[in-house]
Amino acid sequence: MIEFRGVNKWFGALHVLKDITLSVEPREVVVVCGPSGSGKSTLIRCINGLETIKDGRLVVDGQRLGDRATNMTELRTEIGFVFQSFNLYPHKTALENVTLAPIHVRKIQRTEAESAGREMLAKVGLAEKFNAYPAELSGGQQQRVAIARCLCMRPKIMLFDEPTSALDPEMISEVLDVMVGVAEEGMTMMVVTHEMGFARKVAQRVVFMDEGAVVETGTPEEFFSDPKTDRSRAFLSKILRH
Amino acid sequence: MIWFQFQSLIGSYPLALRGLGMTVALSAISLVLGTLIGFTLGVLRTSGNRLVSRVIGLWIDLIRGTPFLVQIFLIFFILPEFGVELDAFTAGIIALTNLAACFICEIVAAGIRSVPTGQVEAALASGLSQWQRMRQVVLPQAMRVSLPPLVGQYVLLIKDSSVVSAIGLTDLTRVGWLVVQRVPNGLLVFAIVGIGYFVVCYPLILLARRLERRMSAAHGEVQL
Amino acid sequence: MLENFSFRTIIEYLPLLGEGFVATLWLSIVSFAGALAVGIILCAMNLQHSQVLKLPAKMYIDAIRATPLLAQLYFLYFGLPRLGMVLPELFVGILALSLNSGAYIAEIIRAGILSISRGQVEAGVASGMTYAQRMRLVILPQAIRVTIPPLLGQAIVLVKDSALLSLISVSELTRAGQLLASDRFMPAEGFITTAACYLLLYYGLKSLAVLSARWLGVRPIGSRI
Repeated sequence: MIEFRGVNKWFGALHVLKDITLSVEPREVVVVCGPSGSGKSTLIRCINGLETIKDGRLVVDGQRLGDRATNMTELRTEIGFVFQSFNLYPHKTALENVTLAPIHVRKIQRTEAESAGREMLAKVGLAEKFNAYPAELSGGQQQRVAIARCLCMRPKIMLFDEPTSALDPEMISEVLDVMVGVAEEGMTMMVVTHEMGFARKVAQRVVFMDEGAVVETGTPEEFFSDPKTDRSRAFLSKILRH
Repeated sequence: MIWFQFQSLIGSYPLALRGLGMTVALSAISLVLGTLIGFTLGVLRTSGNRLVSRVIGLWIDLIRGTPFLVQIFLIFFILPEFGVELDAFTAGIIALTNLAACFICEIVAAGIRSVPTGQVEAALASGLSQWQRMRQVVLPQAMRVSLPPLVGQYVLLIKDSSVVSAIGLTDLTRVGWLVVQRVPNGLLVFAIVGIGYFVVCYPLILLARRLERRMSAAHGEVQL
Repeated sequence: MLENFSFRTIIEYLPLLGEGFVATLWLSIVSFAGALAVGIILCAMNLQHSQVLKLPAKMYIDAIRATPLLAQLYFLYFGLPRLGMVLPELFVGILALSLNSGAYIAEIIRAGILSISRGQVEAGVASGMTYAQRMRLVILPQAIRVTIPPLLGQAIVLVKDSALLSLISVSELTRAGQLLASDRFMPAEGFITTAACYLLLYYGLKSLAVLSARWLGVRPIGSRI
């Protein structure tokens, strides 16, 4: 579904992605973790073209990125992206937020899009908040609307960029529960997160990155109980101390 | 034809230089005076005295709410009725200084208000007097916020000085007006007048932009 | 002193002053509409990546901002006949005001668009919107909200700037005041009444700006009036 082969990226002189080779199968859930500045956000931002790669091959849903034949706008409709800072449209209600792209990009009938949107918002536990504006919602609620906004596009892949790190601690679990639900329905997911409980519960694989390179991959079981490298051991000891 | 016009334009060179000198003198004097008065009034406006703040606020509305041209006419034609004899130059300086003070007062007041109350509280807690709080803590931070709009305001005031040509002062714009009576080529004459202003104003515009960019960089805002 | 302040003369000249007031009002409205059009076009040019459109827009905006309106007004007034365009003074005045305010409006709109956070743009990109869709559905609706109060501020500036049109003998408010002042040698009556009329327009527009800022939940206008 997603395949990186020898991907490199620089920000100016900074080598942010070093020779990344990684693939994600359909219906697989992969958690990406690593210290800040390790390139994990950049990695998933490349997948829907928010960042462009310098060299190497990146194939998503059978289409190669950077290829002239690849229509990025079309490809992006198949990829949901959940931001750390939610990025809901502040001038639109929750329902308008989730129906905007289906109506204008997918060209679905408004009534149809709205009933699907209501259903999706109800599914993430926001049945009474259809007409609320983002400013009237808590952080956890906003992030759940953001997830519903992606799901309404019926994507094949969902990407999450640190979805819970901007949230107050008491709101983290409501968002993780929604994400677990999405994973259990068989969505292909790549999640940048430090929530190890989530990784243990639904991830098939954990990818550990440091200084722009993939240092270690393994099942959550292997990674947490028996990390192979010094760097991952150091990282885990820092996280688990909390 | 063009050659003839060109020659008479060159003949107007001393006049143009005098005009430029007048524009620079008018702007410089009233900017210095306006800055001093505006600063004082800005500090007074935020001093917490309701009455003072109200009176200054009313004056600001009167100045902001009327065209500068009308203000000049009022000063030039009406002050003599109160027994104050004025020449055009003094009237121009008074009008421009008044205008400058009004805008600078608002910029300084906004700068002072932008300093977080926590800063004042910290200064209070460490026992600084009101004057010390102002001088050591509030004003230095307020200045950083006020500087870019202040420079931008200077540009506006230099341009506004062109309006005093209406009471017969021979500034750059008036020179253009005089020359165009003899050399009937408005495009050329006023393009040259425009260049005169541009040479004075554009460096200030660039400076204001640079200060603004440095400010937002210092505050860690995202540049798009 | 002003003990001879003659309200009778003001009442006598009321029809003339009234006409001037109405003229200032409508020529300001027409000029503001023109300025909006100029501003939108300039801003659209300025936001392009291609320098072919961006550079002329930038140069125009800088040239307008670095020179006084009065010089621009005279440039058109004395210059257009040179190009064979002999236009009525009123038309020249409206043209000058539109071209001048347009440059400032372009910068106001640009600031509004750039104030929209990067995340909003990325959210639009990520959901597969095209550039036009993002502009129309995500960026402009938010940008217009923050733009309205400063636009009203620019409207105040424009109304006051329109007084300069009296210097090319357009019949408007300041011109009416000048006539009263010179016909009857009563500058106080003429210019104080004129100033009062402008204050009326100023307070009207200012309250509109403050109210709109409150409705839209954005901060009120800055100091550039």
